[in-house]
Amino acid sequence: MRLLKDKHSSFIAAAALAALALGCTPTNPDSGNGNSTTTTTSTSGGAKRPATTAPGNKITGDTILIGLVASQNGDLRPWGVDSVNGAQLAVDEVNKAGGINGKKVELRIGDSASKPEQGKSACEKLISDGVVGVLGEVASGITAQMAQAAYEKGVPDIAIGATRVDLTDIGNNVFRVCYTDDFQGPVMANFAYKELGRRNMALMTDKKQPYSTGLSASFRDTFTKLGGKIVDEQFYESGQTQFTAQLTQLKAKNPDGIFCSGYFNEVGPIARQTREAGMTNDAVKLLGGDGWDSSQILETGGEAIIGGYFCNHYNGQEKRPEVQDFLSKWKEKYPSNPVPATTMGALAYDAAMLMCDALKRAKTPDSQGLRDAIADTENFKGVTGTITLKGNNGNPPKRAIVVELTKDGQRFAKAYEPSEVVR
Amino acid sequence: MHLFPHLLAGLEFRTLPEQLVNGLFLGAIYALIALGYTMVYGVLRLINFAHGEVYMLGAYTALFVSYALGFGVGSTVTSSSVLNLLIMLLASMTVCSIVGVVIERFAYRPMRSHSRIASLITAIGVSLFLQYAGALFLPNSPPPSINEQVNPFRGSTQLTLVGPPASALQAIRDAKPAAEQATAAFNNYLKAHPTESEFNISPAGQPLRDAARTAEDKLESAEREVTGSGVTITIRYGELIIFITSLILMGILKYLVSNTRPGRAMRAVSHDFDSASLMGVNVNSIVTFTFIVGSALAGAGAMMQATFKGTPMTTFFGLLPGVKAFVAAVLGGIGNIPGAVLGGLLMGVAETLMIWLGYSRYADAIAFVVLIVVLLFRPEGLLGSAEVDKV
Repeated sequence: MRLLKDKHSSFIAAAALAALALGCTPTNPDSGNGNSTTTTTSTSGGAKRPATTAPGNKITGDTILIGLVASQNGDLRPWGVDSVNGAQLAVDEVNKAGGINGKKVELRIGDSASKPEQGKSACEKLISDGVVGVLGEVASGITAQMAQAAYEKGVPDIAIGATRVDLTDIGNNVFRVCYTDDFQGPVMANFAYKELGRRNMALMTDKKQPYSTGLSASFRDTFTKLGGKIVDEQFYESGQTQFTAQLTQLKAKNPDGIFCSGYFNEVGPIARQTREAGMTNDAVKLLGGDGWDSSQILETGGEAIIGGYFCNHYNGQEKRPEVQDFLSKWKEKYPSNPVPATTMGALAYDAAMLMCDALKRAKTPDSQGLRDAIADTENFKGVTGTITLKGNNGNPPKRAIVVELTKDGQRFAKAYEPSEVVR
Repeated sequence: MHLFPHLLAGLEFRTLPEQLVNGLFLGAIYALIALGYTMVYGVLRLINFAHGEVYMLGAYTALFVSYALGFGVGSTVTSSSVLNLLIMLLASMTVCSIVGVVIERFAYRPMRSHSRIASLITAIGVSLFLQYAGALFLPNSPPPSINEQVNPFRGSTQLTLVGPPASALQAIRDAKPAAEQATAAFNNYLKAHPTESEFNISPAGQPLRDAARTAEDKLESAEREVTGSGVTITIRYGELIIFITSLILMGILKYLVSNTRPGRAMRAVSHDFDSASLMGVNVNSIVTFTFIVGSALAGAGAMMQATFKGTPMTTFFGLLPGVKAFVAAVLGGIGNIPGAVLGGLLMGVAETLMIWLGYSRYADAIAFVVLIVVLLFRPEGLLGSAEVDKV
């Protein structure tokens, strides 16, 4: 090995190793693929969820403690702030109406700082403080960790916006108020095929995010089942800035739309570069999932993203009374930011309301009674739609909304009930 | 993992010219950053791992200057000028130079008398420090990006090598009147029925909508046929500017290094650090000079990338470009200035060719494959000299 004896080259080799180590970028909290402690069976529906055997907490005294884990720092802060506001709004409303069986509800908040490990310790802290149930998180990766902690302690968890399919397989204490990724893919495929008349779609997938790869796969399945064709799929990596080469390849395949299943951070620049490649807003539609839900996308995408459609949980322009009621209460309580910045405000409100509703129905004043009551929830009228958890293994069949991006923000396009979507 | 079907399915040779251009444009940025690595290595035999973070700070500087120029969040200013871009460019270059000098003075100089591995670890420490401490002070949640309106050169142009078939152009002319007519009819219907919309339509309006759809589809598919067929090269104005500016900066660097006194001194220090200092070269000021020039180039690259691409910023903005540029520097022969430019351009082309071959999934991995292959077979790099440093 002459090469390694050479001092010069061995030094470069050491430096290169360091470069490789630096090349491992920090994992996004939403990917959450590092949870080796979770025993997932990954098939949703019909899967046997392990039952919690730990005793959980009991309600003592005159206040009922419930916990919320939210990102008050880090990348996901806008979503975290909205979750806190939404849940607090619900709790105040319940207390104003006399509380639960004469007892006041108190919301305790733990900061996950957008990191899975911190979400776990925040959840453990809340449970040791005596909460009977926890709410959160919005990101699947963090939810996986905190739900596992709640499972070990026998406390029920209602996730707010975590859409990854296998989360509820952690245990029978895990529930959510949002739809799952294997629903929003089909919704967008139906919309693209039937409403927009698209036949030859291309996919842009963020290979680093399990969220994105899963969403692309479910879109592909439904779209081809409906009779459409996926002409090409190109991959990129979160944090990447240049997509021109991928788009050159896509353009040669003549797609009439591109499904961008990643997060808004990359979708904005992708949109700009798509238009620069000569694919116009009309001829090549851009579509995506709820990872687009941020006002930021209009800044990063500029004019190129206008006319794009994505799947969301809720939209403030809907005329349903639940939505309008919710918005007027929100405006009254938070006059400085009169509308929730993201859908997480509405989802957190629903999660907290559902937990309070279950507390009323609970047969025993402890975590176990609360868990059973949540699992028995039927036709709960939420802001984001009707929620039925009974017989659904924690995943409620939920309505989804397709919204269009305009200069002024999101515009309601169409709502889909679970039964209307061809899968 | 299916590695071969793509090769059998046949490659899109029509897109090859455009991909080569994409690769060169992408490589220009890598080359700019790689120059900083290679110059510092040439003078100090130190891999400056904080260089990617200097690049990141350059992007943030451009962001703040764009805010100061009136292109903040929610700004409605829509006209900009070259002057604004120049101010941003100079500000980024200046701030990066200062940051580079400060890092050298306070982190690297005290370590200079120690073993090289100690300096290397210091460099990694500075890099991590800037990434994580920067997150406390710099806006990164949600990641901000530079308003596209600050850039007066948006859009693209197409060079046509082989034009689209005449039949496709004719198809557009044929489809246009019918599409316009059908759309107008449907819009009239919507105006008359305000409760309905495109996606929530009553059975009465359905045929009109479908007719409009069919006619529009015909026109759109003819348009796509024109953009998708033929052999064209799309030149985005922003990328063209990045490329030309990079070439100009590299030209200036070449002049600095080969025709000026500090340049000559820099080459002397690079050749033999101790002898140069014995011959009266002020080594410390030459090292400072090297950091100023290298960091300014990174700042220019960062400003252009952030402005013309609209990339959202976090404090990890410089991580991946930094690592790839480092590989480019090693590929060209670390310590060798033309080598860094060649390495950067080759890296850009290699990455786009991976995508052209159908392996977009592995495009980022090519940097590390190149690194391993270079280290195994030609550790001195393409243009580097095989000479071992004197001990």
